[in-house]
Amino acid sequence: MPELSRILHVEDDPSIQAVAKVALEAVGGFRVLSCSCGQDALDQVQGFAPDFILLDVMMPGMDGPQTLAKIAQLVDIGQIPVVFMTAKVQPAEIEHYRGLGARDVIIKPFDPMQLAAQVRQIWNRVHG
Amino acid sequence: MAEPHTPTRELERQLQLLGEKFAERLAQELPELASKAQLLQAGDHQAQLQQLRSLRDQLHKLAGAAGTFGFASIGQRAHELEQQAMHWLESLRLQDQGLQEFIQQVQQFAAQGVQSEPAPNSRARPQATPKAETDVHCIYILEDETSIGESMRLTLGNFGYHAEHFSRIADLDAALQRRLPDALIIDVNLGDSEQTGLAYAAALQQRLEQPLPLLVITTEDDFATHLEAVRVGAMGYFTKPVDIPQLENRLERCFAQQQGEPYRVLIVDDDHHLASRYSLILRGANMLVEVLESPAGIFEAMSRFNPEVVLLDVNMPDCTGPELAQIIRFNDDWLRVPIIYLSAETDITRQMDALIKAGDDFVSKPIADNALVTTVFSRAQRARLLSIALSRDSLTGLLKHADIKEQVGIELERAQRSGKPASVAMLDIDLFKQVNDSYGHVAGDNVIRALANLLRQRLRRVDSLGRYGGEEFLVVLPDCPAAQARRILDEIRQRFAELHFIAGGSEFSVTLSAGIASTEQGAHDAGELLERADRALYGAKHGGRNQVGQS
Repeated sequence: MPELSRILHVEDDPSIQAVAKVALEAVGGFRVLSCSCGQDALDQVQGFAPDFILLDVMMPGMDGPQTLAKIAQLVDIGQIPVVFMTAKVQPAEIEHYRGLGARDVIIKPFDPMQLAAQVRQIWNRVHG
Repeated sequence: MAEPHTPTRELERQLQLLGEKFAERLAQELPELASKAQLLQAGDHQAQLQQLRSLRDQLHKLAGAAGTFGFASIGQRAHELEQQAMHWLESLRLQDQGLQEFIQQVQQFAAQGVQSEPAPNSRARPQATPKAETDVHCIYILEDETSIGESMRLTLGNFGYHAEHFSRIADLDAALQRRLPDALIIDVNLGDSEQTGLAYAAALQQRLEQPLPLLVITTEDDFATHLEAVRVGAMGYFTKPVDIPQLENRLERCFAQQQGEPYRVLIVDDDHHLASRYSLILRGANMLVEVLESPAGIFEAMSRFNPEVVLLDVNMPDCTGPELAQIIRFNDDWLRVPIIYLSAETDITRQMDALIKAGDDFVSKPIADNALVTTVFSRAQRARLLSIALSRDSLTGLLKHADIKEQVGIELERAQRSGKPASVAMLDIDLFKQVNDSYGHVAGDNVIRALANLLRQRLRRVDSLGRYGGEEFLVVLPDCPAAQARRILDEIRQRFAELHFIAGGSEFSVTLSAGIASTEQGAHDAGELLERADRALYGAKHGGRNQVGQS
């Protein structure tokens, strides 16, 4: 299994951005690059070369699904799992997100102590 | 109760800081929401729609973020309001009547402010001595007999609750408008009211979005009243004269159930699609879920994730569900974990076969979302209660002798490392044998439980608490010099003496003595510290009891 170490996190809410960074770095030992909008993510994704991408759904300007579509043109999302983070969704919505190429959805609010484990679990499933 | 001493403390500190920052942000953002809602009334249709979209987006952000920082009910309420905003946007018709109501609701939500948030399972919460204002549970008491209501209010206050007493339904109603309490205590028999307390409670619970924890007090002890109480959702039933410490014990249990961490559920299913669907449903019900697609990973998943419930698919290619269940049951450590089979199997005999081998329950696919959540929830709840009951002193729920003694060692080491003094206090109930002899063992147990609850309420989260012996308790206070420990324990001593117990129709009160030792005078090991605390306790007893001594 390839190693999971670099995570790109795209989120416009600074509080969530900060708590996810702390949680993923301190608990999971990952290296995290936080971007505050879709465009920022597109500019950085190739340079940072993440193993895993966490994407907020609702963002001003380019939203999560739009960002995903553009990221998919830049990197191989078959190898780099893209996962949406969003507040409570209906099962139908998750199917919709999967259709767009997302590997899973992490529900907000999330438990900071468990976030790294959730990411790791998705990673294991994709690459296991 | 102290957190285990692990390297995650730094992380906890960081999370706490982020939580505090988020609280500041809330304090800023809530008034903004209110003014946005206000603006909905102004402008033309287009402007209204734009305003509403911006409101929806902000509510959406809050709904996603608040719970992460421990403000679960703010998050939940924001989610509900977001749904309403979406509903308005979809209908694209902003009828005045309904819109006014929506605006009011948003403003009420904003006005509640950050203080009203109980923030139950937040890690990101500041710790303070004594408990921070936001930590205090608020209890409303409806009791027409003023003397009873007032004494209840005072006693619950001694236990660290914020209690308010109302003699009339109208007064309680007015208070409910201002703020919802965390629990309600209602007298069934209200003298000159047209309604009984239960009829009122039933109507009230229906009005609320989420029913409140409810305890009833009554002079009736018949089956019909019990049944009626259950039907309005009562979680406790007490006949007069009310033993308040016992009632407090029940309150404590209600809150403990509410505040728990999310349940951990492990799903083993080779069907990836189904597994992620179940996982999504359970996560939506605030559970933590891991999915294991290959049974061979079971040992690793069980020991790392430590699930409280395991959901097993019956038909998997390499290893069937019942086989896997038996493998899990080989290990005694996992005996208490309930195993539920998921299967399309509707053949009852084969289901029974599976259950006889191992496993606790069966749910048949396709299963309704609600049924899945309920089944898993009830199993998990019971498993957790049992597991707590096993590791804790059964009467008080505190740490047992060996565990609290170990804690003294841990805190001593920490104090030596950090240079911050820790204190240890040994408490003993005065003349406890007389309580048992005069009022019986049930009354004695009640006294012990009341002291345990009082200690739990008055001490900080970082403090550890244990039942050291029969009527002896041990408290470990990290980062707390002797003088401060003495003040805290003396306050507890006074409050304990003010409690009134009831047994066999008579009322009595009890006192306690305590001895304190701190690391300030230096201590080589836990034994030495304990011995000094014990000597100080002996001194307090000899000095006439009902006092706190210091080594």
